Amino acid sequence: MDHALVRSEGVSEILTASPSNSRDASWERFESLYRSSRDDVYGYVLTLLREPAAAEDVTALAFERAYRRRRTFDRRRGEERAWLFGIARNAALDELRRRRRVATLVTDPEDVVEASDGDGAEVALRRTAVQNALAQLPAREREIVALKFHAGMSNAELARVLGVSESNAGTLLYRTMEKLRKACNATA
Amino acid sequence: MPQLDHDSIDPEVAATLDAIDATLAGEPVDARYADIAEIALLLAADRPEVPPAFAHSLDQKVERRFAAMGLADKRPRQRRRWSGFWGAAGALGAGVAAIVAVALVAGGGGGASSAPSSSASGSMTSAASSAGSAASAAPAVRSPQHSPPTTSGSVANSAASSATSSAPGQPLQPPTTGRKVVQGAQLNLAAAPNRIDDVAQEIFNIIGQANGVVENSNVTQGGPGGNANFQLSVPSGSLGQTMSQLSALNYAQVVSRTDSSQDITDQYGAATRALADARALRTSLLKQLAAATTTEEIDSLKAQINDAEASISSDQATLNRLNHQVNYSEVYVTVQARTAPAAVSQGGGGFGVGKAAHDASRVLTVAAGVALIALAAITPVALVLALMWWVGSALKRRRREQALDSV
Repeated sequence: MDHALVRSEGVSEILTASPSNSRDASWERFESLYRSSRDDVYGYVLTLLREPAAAEDVTALAFERAYRRRRTFDRRRGEERAWLFGIARNAALDELRRRRRVATLVTDPEDVVEASDGDGAEVALRRTAVQNALAQLPAREREIVALKFHAGMSNAELARVLGVSESNAGTLLYRTMEKLRKACNATA
Repeated sequence: MPQLDHDSIDPEVAATLDAIDATLAGEPVDARYADIAEIALLLAADRPEVPPAFAHSLDQKVERRFAAMGLADKRPRQRRRWSGFWGAAGALGAGVAAIVAVALVAGGGGGASSAPSSSASGSMTSAASSAGSAASAAPAVRSPQHSPPTTSGSVANSAASSATSSAPGQPLQPPTTGRKVVQGAQLNLAAAPNRIDDVAQEIFNIIGQANGVVENSNVTQGGPGGNANFQLSVPSGSLGQTMSQLSALNYAQVVSRTDSSQDITDQYGAATRALADARALRTSLLKQLAAATTTEEIDSLKAQINDAEASISSDQATLNRLNHQVNYSEVYVTVQARTAPAAVSQGGGGFGVGKAAHDASRVLTVAAGVALIALAAITPVALVLALMWWVGSALKRRRREQALDSV
């Protein structure tokens, strides 16, 4: 009796599939998170630390930690972006603590009195005024600005990263904006 | 666009926040919020740009999945140190729990193994109380200097007796120098059900070698149980040796042993004096009879002599009985068939499903006990570690937050 060997459909795909597919899923999620958040994390960290070299180190460190802990992420405890910014925040605060311990001279903030050629003089002045006002804010309020405007977070995400209630986060943001507004108006 | 929960926040604040969100979303806002909207736009436009070199470098690292990461992460070493600490703490806790569990189980096991001796002392106590005033008399038996013969009068008056139990193979020898002491013993043995006859034969042999007498015996063998009882009379001089031999039989083990003694020196002396008095009276009466002249006088003396001889016979019998009690000790031996596990330890039993089930349940019971004890020991350690972890986390969080205030 002759029996033709027939392979069921899909067997080839199963046989050739990588055994680490399940692990690749977490990697793909991480990579997507990295692509969408890299610039935001850097912007947030730099605003907080005000030192580009340290911001680069902390940003890289935050992503490395996130990569190592990607399997421990629990979606029930919040969105991935809030989780990532929590890691970045801890790394940045550790950097601030380290600076305080070694008592190194923090690099002066860059001269923000720069105006692009395309901006009008009035806009350039307003921009400079905002930058100066931001530079005068304490770190805690600068962090709120960074999370809201540089990382593009919603108020709910901001609250999750800071570990406060949403109304609390909203109030903090409101006060910070009021400070900035008054500082800008005083300059004007 | 998500709106804030206006119920839990000031309306003015909520309106401002909504205006900010609307501005960032490119929607028009009320003129009242023009300043805030402008600042929001300027802040958003002023987001720091990632330097291209750094972006490229980080992209590559991510692409390599941080495989050859040369990042200046100051934390790994510290984290390893902390994980080592927690690992050591966990191992220490587990070790302490294991030691406590083993110690407690060993202590419990010791208690279990000492159960037979407890049982032995229990029987000793009952024997002692049946003998009466054992507690006060026992020291006199063990240490003669505490109860010298010269003070034995009071002991005799109180019908001094003692009963005590000793370890098998160490027969007690009460002080008998110049004293009339009645000794006795009771021995409870356990043997395999199929060895009752062998034990009985061993007992007979030992009694025969000691020139003793088996006054009474009762041996029952067959079925799962079996028992034997012996009432033995052993020469007091060889009581110690005989008890040693009875305590070391090939097919039986001692469950309990009780040695007793009773000082009858005063009782013996009274009987001796009564006999001597009766004999003296008879001698006197015989002399009077020889000198008697009248019939009435002779008849009266003969009657008194008969009474004296009866008294002599009675006193002599009493003295003989006391001598026998002193010279021969009563020994009661009981042999009981024991249960299967002991038979196995003697090498005479087998291994069956019942025994396996019994052993298995015993193992499970002990394992559950060990687990319970370990859990009880680990729980406080775990609570302390959890508290330390919680406090450590809170302190770390607080220090991080303080870093924001110091800048």
